[in-house]
Amino acid sequence: MLKSAKFARYSEEAYPPIPTPATRFWRKCILYQILRFLVLNLKIMRIVVGGHS
Amino acid sequence: MKVVVLGAGISGHTASMTLRKQLGKEHDVVVVSPAANYQWIPSNIWVGVGRMNPEQVYFPLAPVYARKGIQFHQAQAKVIFPEGDAKTANPFVEVEYTDQAHLGQSARIEYDFLINATGPKLNFAATEGLGPEHFTESVCTYHHAARAWLKLQEVIAKLEQGIAQKIVIGTGHAMATCQGAGFEYALNVAFELRKRGLDSLAEITWITNEYEVGDFGMGGAFVKKGGYITSTKIFTESILAEYGIRWIKRAGVSKIENRLIHYETLDGNKQTILFDFAMLIPSFAGVGIKGFDAHGNDITAELFMPNGLMRVDADYSVKPYNEWRVEDWPSTYQCPKYSNIFASGIAFAPPHSISKPFESPNGTKIFPTPPRTGMPSGVIGKVVAMNIVESIRSGKITLHHKASMGKMGAACIVSSGFGLFQGMAATMTVSPIVPDWEKYPEWGRDINYTVGEAGLAGHWLKHFMHYMFLYKAKGKLGWSFIPE
Repeated sequence: MLKSAKFARYSEEAYPPIPTPATRFWRKCILYQILRFLVLNLKIMRIVVGGHS
Repeated sequence: MKVVVLGAGISGHTASMTLRKQLGKEHDVVVVSPAANYQWIPSNIWVGVGRMNPEQVYFPLAPVYARKGIQFHQAQAKVIFPEGDAKTANPFVEVEYTDQAHLGQSARIEYDFLINATGPKLNFAATEGLGPEHFTESVCTYHHAARAWLKLQEVIAKLEQGIAQKIVIGTGHAMATCQGAGFEYALNVAFELRKRGLDSLAEITWITNEYEVGDFGMGGAFVKKGGYITSTKIFTESILAEYGIRWIKRAGVSKIENRLIHYETLDGNKQTILFDFAMLIPSFAGVGIKGFDAHGNDITAELFMPNGLMRVDADYSVKPYNEWRVEDWPSTYQCPKYSNIFASGIAFAPPHSISKPFESPNGTKIFPTPPRTGMPSGVIGKVVAMNIVESIRSGKITLHHKASMGKMGAACIVSSGFGLFQGMAATMTVSPIVPDWEKYPEWGRDINYTVGEAGLAGHWLKHFMHYMFLYKAKGKLGWSFIPE
């Protein structure tokens, strides 16, 4: 979704970074997201297993 | 020996299933829960936007427990007698049945070990006019989420007629927690309206008691992003702006009237905002269990904090924010007064908030209380169960297993949309949940395992978790190999 035009200039909502077309592409790129899926799973597994004894 | 588990949510259910798997049949595992069904609460968000039916997020507990050999009482725990009473020296819990066949009947259930995993009382009453019985919606249960979807459809119908609508989503109390759930619901509502081409007529506002958005009751976090280490404030603001959602932060909602929310901000200003549809998360409290000693004296205050959550092995001494340490947080969840009582999940009383406390000039405390949902609740339930198993086997109280929120991490996946390729999720992992500024002086957490990213991967993870954790909760083949 593109940033809505309803946010007035100088409003707080007008300042955050908004993704570029390239960022949006990578968010939806199936191969890259499969890799991120694996990475996120590994990180989550590590923090679940490593967080208790 | 007999272990009684009060509650069958994520923590209680994990504890009872672990106990049953590891204890021999000569020991009894008993579950007392007022609800007939297990619900996978994170998926209530999808019920609230009509992407799932309520039946897809819950299943009846009785058949699972019958298959596993767990005794199940559909009842609400009312009073704990840790020393028994005048008639018996055995500790017991007084319960009141909630199923139709025994509705209102009371019973005593004796125990050798007790786990209090009752979860929270949804404290709508703490904010006048809050909740589905009054003026706002909730997604805290699948019943509430189903009702929220009905109400949201009315908003959609009006938008389709060209009538502008104001939607407010966020926290319904100055000290509410669970910002993640509210945030996820806001994104899903925005996604659904955009998908229908109705977003230009809808004004969606995120109202929160956080000092900055992205605090999530954990004091925020720092993540690697675009060549920088940046705060979750930037990450969260970016997502909100991208979805066209404005925000009001540092706001303690104090009262709801028909289509009008009253709130106070940290600077002491009292303001209002109009709404056509509002979903606001209530504050949480303990479920109100009492305690009595063998002589009939009320020991509720020794077992529970004033908010009804149970005292455990935490440091509850009052100290300033800059003296808080991860060591304040409990690791075994054992009741200090009675060594055979434990509290897990949301039922244990945290020593203090994780977010910095703030107070308005009018004396209103406006900050989130600590989140303890999902992953930490499951891990705590398992650790408590494992310590009880070892204690039973060794014949003495053994607390080898530990799980402090100052050591364990958590993942929060805020997913919008539905289907394999249409969704997007903001995935946040933090490790540990409570920042450890001594171990990680720069960022408070392990920066390699504290992540914030947006994309399809998180969306898949959320779906994956829905099916995986419901499978696990049903105790199907290999369930115990699936981590909490």
